[in-house]
Amino acid sequence: MLRTITLDPVTRIEGHLRIDAEVDGGQVTKAWSSAQMWRGIEVILKGRDPQDAWTFAQRFCGVCTTVHAISSIRAVEHALKVEVPVNAQLVRNIMIAQHSVQDHLVHFYHLTALDWVDIVSALKADPSKAAQLAQSISAWPGNSATEFKAVQDRLRSFVDGGRLGIFASGYWGHPAMKLPPEVNLMAVAHYLKAFDYQRKAAQAVAILGGKNPHIQNLVVGGVATAINLDNLATLNLERLAFMRTLMEEARDFVQQVYYPDLLSIAAAYKDWFAIGAGVTNYLAVPEFPEDTRNTRFGLTGGVITNGDSQHLRPIKSHQDDYLLGNIQESVARAWYSGADSLHPWKGVTEPSYTDFQADAKYSWCKAPRLAGQPAQVGPLAQILINYAAGDARVRRLVDEANAKLGLTLRDYHSTMGRLLARGMRAYLMADLSLEFLDQLIANLGRGDTAYANPTQIPDGEFQGVGFHEAPRGCLSHWMVIRNRKIDNYQAVVPTTWNASPRDEKGVPGPYEASLVGNPVVEPEKPLEVLRTIHSFDPCIACAVHTIDPEGKPITRIKVG
Amino acid sequence: MKTLILGAGNLLLSDEGFGVHFIRHLQSYRTLPPDVELFDAGTLGLMVGHKLEEADRVYIVDAVAAPGAPGSCIRYAKEDFLLQRIPIKLSPHQVGVQEMLQVSLLRGRFPEEIYLLGIIPCSLEPGTGLSPLLQQRLPEIAAQLVSELSTVRECSG
Repeated sequence: MLRTITLDPVTRIEGHLRIDAEVDGGQVTKAWSSAQMWRGIEVILKGRDPQDAWTFAQRFCGVCTTVHAISSIRAVEHALKVEVPVNAQLVRNIMIAQHSVQDHLVHFYHLTALDWVDIVSALKADPSKAAQLAQSISAWPGNSATEFKAVQDRLRSFVDGGRLGIFASGYWGHPAMKLPPEVNLMAVAHYLKAFDYQRKAAQAVAILGGKNPHIQNLVVGGVATAINLDNLATLNLERLAFMRTLMEEARDFVQQVYYPDLLSIAAAYKDWFAIGAGVTNYLAVPEFPEDTRNTRFGLTGGVITNGDSQHLRPIKSHQDDYLLGNIQESVARAWYSGADSLHPWKGVTEPSYTDFQADAKYSWCKAPRLAGQPAQVGPLAQILINYAAGDARVRRLVDEANAKLGLTLRDYHSTMGRLLARGMRAYLMADLSLEFLDQLIANLGRGDTAYANPTQIPDGEFQGVGFHEAPRGCLSHWMVIRNRKIDNYQAVVPTTWNASPRDEKGVPGPYEASLVGNPVVEPEKPLEVLRTIHSFDPCIACAVHTIDPEGKPITRIKVG
Repeated sequence: MKTLILGAGNLLLSDEGFGVHFIRHLQSYRTLPPDVELFDAGTLGLMVGHKLEEADRVYIVDAVAAPGAPGSCIRYAKEDFLLQRIPIKLSPHQVGVQEMLQVSLLRGRFPEEIYLLGIIPCSLEPGTGLSPLLQQRLPEIAAQLVSELSTVRECSG
């Protein structure tokens, strides 16, 4: 029997997303992804001073503040061919990597864990057995029977008091929940603990950025961070040592709690390595510049087509001609008027709302295409591409996980593959944050005190793009400067790639394609749909967020 | 008693940014009690949920889409949060403040007092400034809050 499910909005994501799915015989046969908010961002930036764009750009969203600031400033630097001193690149790299640590922790525990962890089942666990289990997979000192018992007691008082509504968006007791009670208890305890460690990562970014969210320390051509290892009035060795401690604590939590929890969940849900592949064209850009011109990077970029890792097309610099020339956005099925597919430097943002029309226009999201094809972006793309390129650390993480879980690379094209790749990325970012700090201190020790190349915007016309491999994948800000003012600005964000609607040829985007074949046991409780959508870590919060005091239900699930 | 005033909003959508403008305004005050922290939370995503545990008394200042005259300020207190009378959709951030607070409750770190000062916006059009009406209301609401902070401080001290 053919039924249609509408989830509006999808819960536990940042932003307002609507998913429609046609279900037949317990499986999704067609899906539509619809962004329900319009971003007026591009409009706001027109006519402004390019030097200030980053301070506005980081207000696009409450989560992705740092990443939009970085992309925006890189766009100006690219347009004007400004070199960025190594110290400044390292300061930025630390902030980028540590921001990712916080972001991935929040996603795993607070946005997606409840898709897999049955919070009520944790009440049935034996806390001693849960502690034994946790100790067998991790050296983390916080996994005691006492701690797990305390969590269970608090949880029980909540359930007894009928206050489980707090997890109203979780599907406890759903037949697709498979973890043993002990694993559920361990995960719930860590879910509550993760709060402390995301705070530490946020504090570390604030030490360098001056403020977090909304870092203050960028300038075109570098950073405004004053570091003097011996001077008390500036960022000195003592502050940097404190930052290091915070980053080490966050690293230990990621590597000894998050990652082992993820492997346990992946082992229990191995069937989810065969579900949710969708679009298997992948795009990632190189990240963590090591030189002043953005030509050498810590992690590479590239393009994988149709899941074929053997034939990677590497992207080694932010000036790669193929990358710059082959991104277009289609508005054939999006609520905008104008010509069909435009390059972002020529992009137009003119709203033209029609209501949800599955066969015509149905989303505020444009449809970005790479050489005419949809592409999936995010940690999975970055991990697959760096694996194909032979990155030693990525190879070790992937090979170890494959041996442990009995996987091959092919299994990564899936819902669980995306979660696993994000965990690997978090693991890597936790290490990289500390390595960049070591490099910064070493570079300062060598007497290099350059932080910025102060830059004036000249008259004339310039165009630039700022690429950034953000926590959710490839981000690019495209800027046209005319006579010292911004003439055009387009942000092609990771979620635009992944939440993309169909294009003018009717080809679906990654969310839409990944849902096809997805099981749905109970159409009224479409947990499986949430699992796949959440695995992308949607973030489309770039717009209005006023409170709706009518207290409408969290999500309208309409089954037709 | 440590007090946190947390301004939320999107600065790019005129009155939506009220909470952030509010914090910037208070930063110009010279008479705030020393144990008051001002925090610009931006669009109040999950990334700042931990801030709510860092004070005994929390004021969240935000725009609300409530029925009523633009410029009105509606006050919600702790019971409203606990009984989930605050609309669940506090933001497009679907794990809203309410859910974060409930996690804090489960962690045993719920603030002693918590209020939401919700202002009804006039305009949500793209733009970086407030509408004239909210621009006018802002110092009034700020003055009321500052006077409340001072009064409570005198009583308890």
